Amino acid sequence: MLADRAQRSRPAVNWGRFLRSFGTLIGFLLIVVFFWSQRPATFMSVRNLLNITQQVSILGIVAFTMTVVMVVGDFDLSVGTMASLSGIIVGLMLQNDHALGTAILVALLAGAAGGILNGVLIAYVGILPFVATLATLTVFSGAASSLSGGRTIFGQVFPDGLVDFANGGIPLLTLNEQVVRIPHLTLIALIVLAVVWFVLEQTVFGRRLYAIGGNMEASRLAGVRVRFLRLLTFVITGLGASLAGVVLTSQLATANPTLGDGLMLNAIAAVFLGMTMSQEGEPRVLGTLVGVLLIGVLANGFTQVGVDTYVQRILTGVIIIASVTLSSISRRRS
Amino acid sequence: MQSENLLHIQRASKTYSGVPALLDVDLELRAGEVHALMGENGAGKSTLIKILAGVTPPDSAEIHVRGERVHIASPQAAFDHGLRFIHQELHAVPQLSAAENIFLGHDYPTALGVKVRWRRLYDMARETLGRLGITHIDPRTTMAHLSPGDQMLVNIAHAFVGDDFTRAGERALIYVMDEPTAALTGAESAQLFDVIGRLRARGSAVLYVSHRMDEIFQIADRVTVLRDGQLAGTRDRASVTPAEIILLMTGRELTQLFPPRMGQIGAEVVLDVQGVTTAAVNGISFTVKAGEIVGVTGLAGSGMGALLRALIGADRRAAGRVMLDGVPLKRGSPAHAWDRQVAYVPEERRSQGLVLSHSVSNNITLPQLKRLSRAGALLAHGRERATTRELSESVRLKARGPRQIVRDLSGGNQQKVVFARALARPPKLLLLGEPTRGVDIGAKLDIYRLIRQISAQGTAIVLASTDLPELIGMTDRILILRAGRLADVVPSAGETPERLLSRCYGDAAYAG
Repeated sequence: MLADRAQRSRPAVNWGRFLRSFGTLIGFLLIVVFFWSQRPATFMSVRNLLNITQQVSILGIVAFTMTVVMVVGDFDLSVGTMASLSGIIVGLMLQNDHALGTAILVALLAGAAGGILNGVLIAYVGILPFVATLATLTVFSGAASSLSGGRTIFGQVFPDGLVDFANGGIPLLTLNEQVVRIPHLTLIALIVLAVVWFVLEQTVFGRRLYAIGGNMEASRLAGVRVRFLRLLTFVITGLGASLAGVVLTSQLATANPTLGDGLMLNAIAAVFLGMTMSQEGEPRVLGTLVGVLLIGVLANGFTQVGVDTYVQRILTGVIIIASVTLSSISRRRS
Repeated sequence: MQSENLLHIQRASKTYSGVPALLDVDLELRAGEVHALMGENGAGKSTLIKILAGVTPPDSAEIHVRGERVHIASPQAAFDHGLRFIHQELHAVPQLSAAENIFLGHDYPTALGVKVRWRRLYDMARETLGRLGITHIDPRTTMAHLSPGDQMLVNIAHAFVGDDFTRAGERALIYVMDEPTAALTGAESAQLFDVIGRLRARGSAVLYVSHRMDEIFQIADRVTVLRDGQLAGTRDRASVTPAEIILLMTGRELTQLFPPRMGQIGAEVVLDVQGVTTAAVNGISFTVKAGEIVGVTGLAGSGMGALLRALIGADRRAAGRVMLDGVPLKRGSPAHAWDRQVAYVPEERRSQGLVLSHSVSNNITLPQLKRLSRAGALLAHGRERATTRELSESVRLKARGPRQIVRDLSGGNQQKVVFARALARPPKLLLLGEPTRGVDIGAKLDIYRLIRQISAQGTAIVLASTDLPELIGMTDRILILRAGRLADVVPSAGETPERLLSRCYGDAAYAG
């Protein structure tokens, strides 16, 4: 009987499938249209749109690299505090008169080392990702606080060139006698996006990651070096997190031991939003991009419309729940 | 034997979207009999059981229970008519005690309707188990700490709750058991058969679904075989042979099923296994020559599957050596084994063999991605598709194309995907675990033909299987494992399934 009904309804548009694939994207466009209608003059301006891309760039860097671990079916909760720790490392090294390049390199190495620690605990020791990265989250946070003595580092420590670069951009065109620029941060995020997309979609490494995410045991028996690849994914998120920390600190000319902590939740939310768009429910980095933009547009639009930040958070949470629910319901029905 | 007819189902038919799954099937269960239900996958066994369980409404069927015409419209109705179902999978809560699992879904004894009277519950559980002759399970034990066999016994005890045997005029019940020994060891199965014996003695009827010929000949009184949804025949166990049952199931003689060898066995030893020991196997040694097919068999828990896992490197070897063409294989690395041209078809297709959510192409090329890539790192989609097309053709895969998702294929075609993967690079050594389990007869023939072709190219093959006719028909020698040790090696020619089975049990009667 059930089979009959399914067959009969086939010629019509398959709404469940349609919603599953495009629901989040349509929701995103509706939200854009809504804010546009509310603030026609400011929201849809080239300047504001570029502004949004700058606002989400740091979240983007974390979320794009987070996509890589989630492809395998793992999580990394430690990215936020790793970003904070990296910022502190840059700040302290600059304070102690090290060269800028050295400071950034050391911060990135710390990110890679943190990733190796996570990867070893999870892939080789066999601790659940949730538990392992929750523990390292605490360790990185503690390290950031104890290295900095709990203090915020700011001011002259950060060279002007760095701060100007992080807040500047490449001139694009002149509009009403004002120069419109593509923010440097946006470009950095786009580069990370391009690299992650290429790695996940076009390389043997990426294909193997998706295979592990689909069936870890079958992949291992088919000759995929599962443990080593899982380790590498955590190194990638660690690097992404520390890069985000460096960028954030540069932009604000401030290093604070809790500066990047909030990135983790939004990054995971962005990947989940993106997963709702893929046919098999797998994380895809272009899906993550939509998730990141959605979160960014909400924050920007709500602020322009005058919704206060606390209510903003509630609404953002509700929209994430709505999107994921919609897609999981249509999945169950099909 | 004149005995009461407990259950009689006549002219049972069921069609799924135009395809008949069951057509005019008759089945009769007498009081005090164990009735085996056999057939290939897709023969209609599960449809018949679902109809009896009230899960699937038949298109037509006449069901009599104890001579009375009944309609089984729901699982509750099935229960009320005295039908009890024991499934292959354990529907248990591993964190709870055995006693709690036995009474799961029933009311626990309570004081004041609130506080569970634990001691009373344990006593009741002990009594229920005792009625089945099970005394070695402590009802307080956490389910997860029991062996799979004991968990199955608890599962069976659960099916007895609420049936008061002590009351005079007790009703004889009808038990339907769907492959209950799938996860059990030999000793655990023996305990289950003991329980089944008690049920029979009490006048109950047992409908026993199993693929295992050995069990059928051990416990069944009669055998009903389904083929392609139709009744192929019902026979008395005493007057039937395994070959006849296979003929009923497949419609072919054994000899027609297995194609003859196409090449000669070479002189050079490809695989040399010396004293291999893991957690599950102990000191196994044997060799396989080029073009030779060596069978491995044993009862559940004998280490048959574990031997293949040790060879591919999935289980870490504690001791011993595996030499391929005279060069040792690293232990604990399937990736290394594939690099050395060892190919593996795992026993559990869905959980160990395939990434079900991925395409045919992605599944086939997975172990060879690097060789098919550009510069060893970049995906070469065109090359992958070409390889997939070529291999799909040679294994006669029925799929819409390289991009079809593997989950949507039939069991036989899924298994062909696993085979195509193994052939993507001509293997020196091919390890096959239950290569035809759960595949239809057409795919089975294709797979046997493929095995012969691969073998003719000089590949050494190890074929682990519990399908005894398959082993005899396809291999040159058979290794018999008992409790993780190599117990016996016999030439396949002239062996019979019965004799092979007794060797698995270590029966002295056939030794020599």
